[in-house]
Amino acid sequence: MEPTTILSVYNLSVTLGHKRIIHDVSFSVQPQEVVAIIGPNGAGKSILVKTLIGLTEATSGKIEWQPGTKVGYLPQRFHVDHYLPMTIKEFLDLKPKRAFSIHEVLELTKLDTSWLKRPLAHLSSGQLQHVLLAWAILDKPQLLIFDEPTENVDVVGQESIYTLLHNLQDTLGIAMMIVSHDLHVVYRYANTVICLNGKMVCYGAPETALTTDKLSELYGNHAFFHHHHYKNEE
Amino acid sequence: MTNTLFPLILGSGILVATASGLVGSFLLLRKMTLLSDALSHIALPGIALGVLFHFEPLLGGVLFLFIGVFFIWAIEHKTKLAVETITGVLFVTALAAGSFLIPEENLLETFFGSVTRITVPELILQGVVALLIIAVIIRFLKPLVLSSIAPDLARAERLPASFLEFLLLTLIAFTIAIGISFVGILLMSALVIIPAASARNIARNFRQFIGWSVVFSVASLTIGLYADAIWHFGPGTATVFTGAFFFILTLFGKRDY
Repeated sequence: MEPTTILSVYNLSVTLGHKRIIHDVSFSVQPQEVVAIIGPNGAGKSILVKTLIGLTEATSGKIEWQPGTKVGYLPQRFHVDHYLPMTIKEFLDLKPKRAFSIHEVLELTKLDTSWLKRPLAHLSSGQLQHVLLAWAILDKPQLLIFDEPTENVDVVGQESIYTLLHNLQDTLGIAMMIVSHDLHVVYRYANTVICLNGKMVCYGAPETALTTDKLSELYGNHAFFHHHHYKNEE
Repeated sequence: MTNTLFPLILGSGILVATASGLVGSFLLLRKMTLLSDALSHIALPGIALGVLFHFEPLLGGVLFLFIGVFFIWAIEHKTKLAVETITGVLFVTALAAGSFLIPEENLLETFFGSVTRITVPELILQGVVALLIIAVIIRFLKPLVLSSIAPDLARAERLPASFLEFLLLTLIAFTIAIGISFVGILLMSALVIIPAASARNIARNFRQFIGWSVVFSVASLTIGLYADAIWHFGPGTATVFTGAFFFILTLFGKRDY
């Protein structure tokens, strides 16, 4: 392992109940690298990132973090009770460890200070995601894990969140792992792509790793290229 | 006797109501309001044993609540049974055992609350436990709130999820135990739930939510205790009526969320 490697994963397998979700996955993440994880529905993408940060237990294999690595995590689903009486400021105040002040984080994520008084429960899912991004970078993580939502986020919202992530990577030098179902995102932002379908189907730079053969193996047929954008993923 | 003790009853009651208001806010956040209702019944056999064998009924209640909470927590973690299922089974069993054991003359006051036979050591014990509950909540406020509203984020922040859950269940158990002598087993959840529900109606942020919850809880119990001292119709009943009245008032001041 190189001394600067943030994360090294060796032969990781995850079994939930009797179902094998992930089998024998190995990869590493370097500082400032953008790694995209793609794959069909139920391929284990979300489970993979949850296992990395300890929300799900690995069945076998090894996960090695560079000591002291801080990770920011944006979950795929974040439900806020419609009746929750809490402002955005109060929510951000709950973050246990902070390296930035709340105002610095608002500036980094291009949120106006007027947002601080807004109730969390009244945000659209795109706005909520924006606030979660602010939450995730409050302690200045070395790695940001973004599990892309598959429902209820409009295309414009997604476009702006990726622009924002890209800016953050430039200004803060954060490495990122992006779980995506959009190949467009992969080609545009990622240095490395992991194709996951239970096992690792491809791994490498998008230009070389994403061959037609690999994509067919990953998604089964070419219909995906044209229609996947519009489908909801479970 | 009631009159000479009244200032002490009121003081202890205010502390207990403060603890109830705080704990109630968390129950509401976690949608566990009915759990506390069911849980309060688990105290009954403990109280009954205290009455029968002449030790402090409050301690018996705490002990049984604590055992009940531990079972609920452990079974939830070891099996896939839903908390409601476990609580449902436990609480009716405890209620049956308690009503069987407790002398009939004590049944009504245990169910609906009474301060006529309360003693100075009991009042002091209740006040001290209430202070401890308040202190623990203030100490663990942020982790408790985060794990209540966003469990996944809390775990990603490496907060000890099962410890916090157990802590909250323990706080609920102790709060119920110290409130029972004021408002009784059947009405205890009123002191916990109604103030928090009223507070949520008018709160614009979290600080107001917790603050109003405590204010409504303290006001309800204070008015309940005064009403009982004057008209003798039971502090529990008077407290519930007052709390319900506040709740209706807050419906008119309801924010749009």
